Amino acid sequence: MGGVLVRPVILTVCIYLFLKFIVPNLPHSAPLPSSLIFLYLMLTTAGIVIFATLSGASKDAFFGPILRFLTGEGGGALSSARYLVLALFPLLVGWQTYGSTASSDAPPGENRTIHPAPPGEYTGLSNPVPKTLDNINYGKGLYASRCSPCHGNFDGKGFAAAGFTPPPANFKDPTTIAMLQESYLFWRIKKGGVGLPVEGMPWKTAMPRWELEMSDEDIWKVIMGEYDGAGQKPRTWDESE
Amino acid sequence: MARVRRPGTSWWVGAVGLVGLCVAAQVQPAYSQQSVSVRAALVKGSLPADDPTAAAWATAAVSEFPMSPQVHWPVRITDVTAKSVKVRGLHDGTTVAIMVEYTDPSEDPDDAAALEFMVGDTKAHFAHGQPMAQVEGGPVNIWYWKNKDGKGADLGAKGFGTLKPHGHQDVKAKGVYQGGVWKVVFSRTLNTEHVAEDTQFQPGQFASIAFAVWDGKKMETGQPKEKGSEKAISSWWYFRADAPPDYSPYMYALLAVALALGFELVLVRRLKKGS
Repeated sequence: MGGVLVRPVILTVCIYLFLKFIVPNLPHSAPLPSSLIFLYLMLTTAGIVIFATLSGASKDAFFGPILRFLTGEGGGALSSARYLVLALFPLLVGWQTYGSTASSDAPPGENRTIHPAPPGEYTGLSNPVPKTLDNINYGKGLYASRCSPCHGNFDGKGFAAAGFTPPPANFKDPTTIAMLQESYLFWRIKKGGVGLPVEGMPWKTAMPRWELEMSDEDIWKVIMGEYDGAGQKPRTWDESE
Repeated sequence: MARVRRPGTSWWVGAVGLVGLCVAAQVQPAYSQQSVSVRAALVKGSLPADDPTAAAWATAAVSEFPMSPQVHWPVRITDVTAKSVKVRGLHDGTTVAIMVEYTDPSEDPDDAAALEFMVGDTKAHFAHGQPMAQVEGGPVNIWYWKNKDGKGADLGAKGFGTLKPHGHQDVKAKGVYQGGVWKVVFSRTLNTEHVAEDTQFQPGQFASIAFAVWDGKKMETGQPKEKGSEKAISSWWYFRADAPPDYSPYMYALLAVALALGFELVLVRRLKKGS
């Protein structure tokens, strides 16, 4: 009687499990928002209904069990299940209505862009300082005195980091300086938190505007020291092509 | 052994499961309020705005925020006394009181604390509303208390070096030092006439808030350990004065349940007639 519905349900469950547990573990992926998962499930359900109603016979086979269930023709255990579904549906509607009309206790969402686009003049600059051991070590020295209080041992865990949100960048994390070009770091170090564009709101970063305290050459050396200390390499145009 | 199939039962189990999955996908994980916002509950009767030790404060929800040395702007500092602040809030529909509590090994005349808010709808950088390079930021409103002054100060700034008292002083503050702990209560009316300079609180709406604390302990140089830009700070968090209870969502939910039940009854009756 209901065999025709088993496969669609199994398909939907499999898609849910795939989106919920497998997609987040794929390389370069991330957990999907529950609203997106819900949207995909709705699209799946719509597809199943369209497929099931392609012909009169398939339509009857698909909707027949549902109609018989709703009218209480099955009897027995089905009767209890029918009452359960008929009771759950209004409760679900009431719950959703409450959820959409009650005021939220959650603060406003912060759609901060973590790596906003730099101004044009900071795009594609190359480090003019020769990559020598002396320059790298000089940059590491500046890093130790200027940057390490917040960014720590290149891991974002400096002794002054606790109160800042978002936390200072962890340069060992492959999603920070490893995916950025040196010119991007030059902009962020030189202009600091106040250099962020509007999409960098809500402007919580405490990053100083180092152009007031360091020369451009020293900033380039700090960048060298950062990459070397964190064991990362800057992204280059060749790699991004 | 042949599998025994019970026709008619497997599909509705699956259907209920499908509904459950859809619902589960909709459910949002619980959001930790305590770590990101201060909630000032609406109270009846008098507000303990002048008494940091009043029993009413024990009923207020407490939020704790970590503090960092101010490193954004020279002159900076690398180690501070206050590692965190506990913050509570209460309001009576007219006045709001916010209490900041933190540990300090010694009571000193230069001990001080401050709250910072954005003004109006324009976003501001948390560091005194520092001017932004690419976009026009707004000013900040700072509520300041210093032990030796024994009162609150109402200040404004739009960048370091621009801090100055407002021409109107609407903020009150009182601090009590007990057992190595400062409790400082700031209070002001929820709204003022000076909308261009003062933050305005709309009950139910979240506002941005930041904290600062100075340990005024005298050093060998004769200067306080923390002063001016050498202070413990936080960046922006959220503050909300709770709105009066609103029961309308329960009414809407009940109405929705009634409508859904009616829809079910009509649907089942029509299906039965059709069959």
